Amino acid sequence: MATYAKPAARPHRHEEEHEDLRQHLMHDPLPRGQMNAMVMESMHETSPIFWVITAVLAAIVVFALGYEWYVLIMQGQGMAGVTRPDYWGVFLVNTVFWIGISHAGTFISAILRVLKVESRRPFTRAAELMTTFGLVQAGLSIFMHLGRVWITYWMFPLPNQRTIWPDFHSPLMWDLMAITTYLLCSTMYLFLPLIPDMAMARDRTEGGWLKVFYRTLALGFRGTEGEWKNLVTAMNLFAFAIIPVMFSVHTIVSWDFAMATRPGWNSSVFGPYFVIGALHSGMAAVAIVLFLLRSTMKHYKYFIRPEHFNTIGMLMLLVSMAWAYFYFNDYIVPWYGGDVWDKLFQEYTEHGPKWYLWYTMLICNIAVPWLILWNRKWRETPWLLAIAGILINVGMYLERYIIIPVGVTITRMPFTWRQYEPRIEIPMTVGTFALFLLLYMLASRIIPLIPVWEVQEGQEAHLIRKIGKAEISTLSEME
Amino acid sequence: MSEAITLLAMFEDLEPASEGVEKLQQLGVDDDDMNIISGIPIKHTILGRPSAITYVSRIGMFGAILGMFLGIFFIYGIPYFYPLLVGGQAIYPVPQGIIITFEMTMLGLMGFAFIGLFVDSGFPSYTPKEYTPEVSDGKIALLFSCPVNEQEKFIDALKNVGAESVAPVEARHL
Repeated sequence: MATYAKPAARPHRHEEEHEDLRQHLMHDPLPRGQMNAMVMESMHETSPIFWVITAVLAAIVVFALGYEWYVLIMQGQGMAGVTRPDYWGVFLVNTVFWIGISHAGTFISAILRVLKVESRRPFTRAAELMTTFGLVQAGLSIFMHLGRVWITYWMFPLPNQRTIWPDFHSPLMWDLMAITTYLLCSTMYLFLPLIPDMAMARDRTEGGWLKVFYRTLALGFRGTEGEWKNLVTAMNLFAFAIIPVMFSVHTIVSWDFAMATRPGWNSSVFGPYFVIGALHSGMAAVAIVLFLLRSTMKHYKYFIRPEHFNTIGMLMLLVSMAWAYFYFNDYIVPWYGGDVWDKLFQEYTEHGPKWYLWYTMLICNIAVPWLILWNRKWRETPWLLAIAGILINVGMYLERYIIIPVGVTITRMPFTWRQYEPRIEIPMTVGTFALFLLLYMLASRIIPLIPVWEVQEGQEAHLIRKIGKAEISTLSEME
Repeated sequence: MSEAITLLAMFEDLEPASEGVEKLQQLGVDDDDMNIISGIPIKHTILGRPSAITYVSRIGMFGAILGMFLGIFFIYGIPYFYPLLVGGQAIYPVPQGIIITFEMTMLGLMGFAFIGLFVDSGFPSYTPKEYTPEVSDGKIALLFSCPVNEQEKFIDALKNVGAESVAPVEARHL
């Protein structure tokens, strides 16, 4: 019997294919000078609304973070909702949440650089900046939790004063080491690709404190062969090395919980489950940030396009599936095992007074991304992706809330069980969100959020090549 | 050799720039006496240049070894001087040692690679240098030295292969 190829129901038209390729940033190049001018203009042309929002955020930071923290220090931890058995409350929820947010920045930048995913180019810096500012909030939240911050130095190795050194056998010390390593390395990783853009900004700024600022941070960079070689080598080294560090950080954060023999916490899958959870919230935060930048910054519609939201959306869907897999793993084993305390914990989260948190978490973390992100057109709709991002972050915040304050409620001493209700933690949490946004907004005025040289490098490497009747995108190795 | 002068040739694109490099090599300019300044990294083979040497990775590896020993000191040295028994665990445990040693090794690797970039590139350096801001607008500059009395020959040769301009350059504050 003869076989034949079935013709396509709707034939492709050549013009449509051509049109599609031009929609990609890499195939829609502008002269480098023009792209530089666009990025500089977006930083320096600021509307009054921007300053109004900045002032409101600054006021929130001063009151909700500054004043309330002062009250907490003066009055003591009694101002917070923590008491037996819930000594770990919202401050630690915030710590884990912000570390999670910080993860995606470096992950997206590093792993997409290692895998040479070209669509990463315009948004790596916006993502990396999230890492640094997210870690600032995480660090502040730990100090809020400490309470008596003025004796923080007790944790430092001062043997003459306390006759003991920090105990590196403790998961909390591992956490300190890991977060410090991650903060330092991700800040250096943020700075490396920024150097050529600082030189660009230096060349295009006339006088004033900004000129001094750019000149200082450009370090005298000119773009000689040796400078580029050193820079690219360092960036590649960082991209490879920072990925395992990123994995280690949230794994160690999970061990802060998993090393305790407490029901709901003592799980061998907590490490990867926390890492995936961090990526889940972080990816979603990147989508929100990209939407805000594209909507508010002049010329950013040229740099940040639907194709980039599509890339982020696919990663969000993938990570959401991985999160569901790990959550189910973490759920089914104690459920099947039947340990009385594990069962009590699961019943408490599902049917206890906070049951609605558990269901909302599952809807936001699984149902929302699975319903929205399977469709390419929806993924390429920036506002829809941003809404999905907000809901996922609500879900991930609730997940940490269930693990920490809800989790510590169920101890093996039922007479201590008590509902945790946050008090001063609420305004201070709002304060961390306001500070994150404020830092980001101020940075957007002085730091080129688009790595122009990386965009140009990508555009130089991409060509449209005609093969037969079709136009195909081709990529050359330029580095 | 007579007195040397530094010239800066500007090119719009990679193609004429690579021809410019070739022309200079034909005219006897040593590879060490020329440098490409560009707004993006360019693979050395594209311009027919020798590969630049970098010590960043090696400095990073040195830092990794240093960090590893620091990590080992933290986890095993400190309990040796200040023994503290916790939860019946060993004073010198291997699993915890892996965690701390890993973190310090990675911190050493990246910290020293960062420092290596500074050392190898001579950063920060705010002294005057030969440079033109047109480079950050996408042009490619070819910086080279030649004898003063032969500069016309070099200028003509580079203009013939497509240089937009070739002129003496003075060091300027960046």
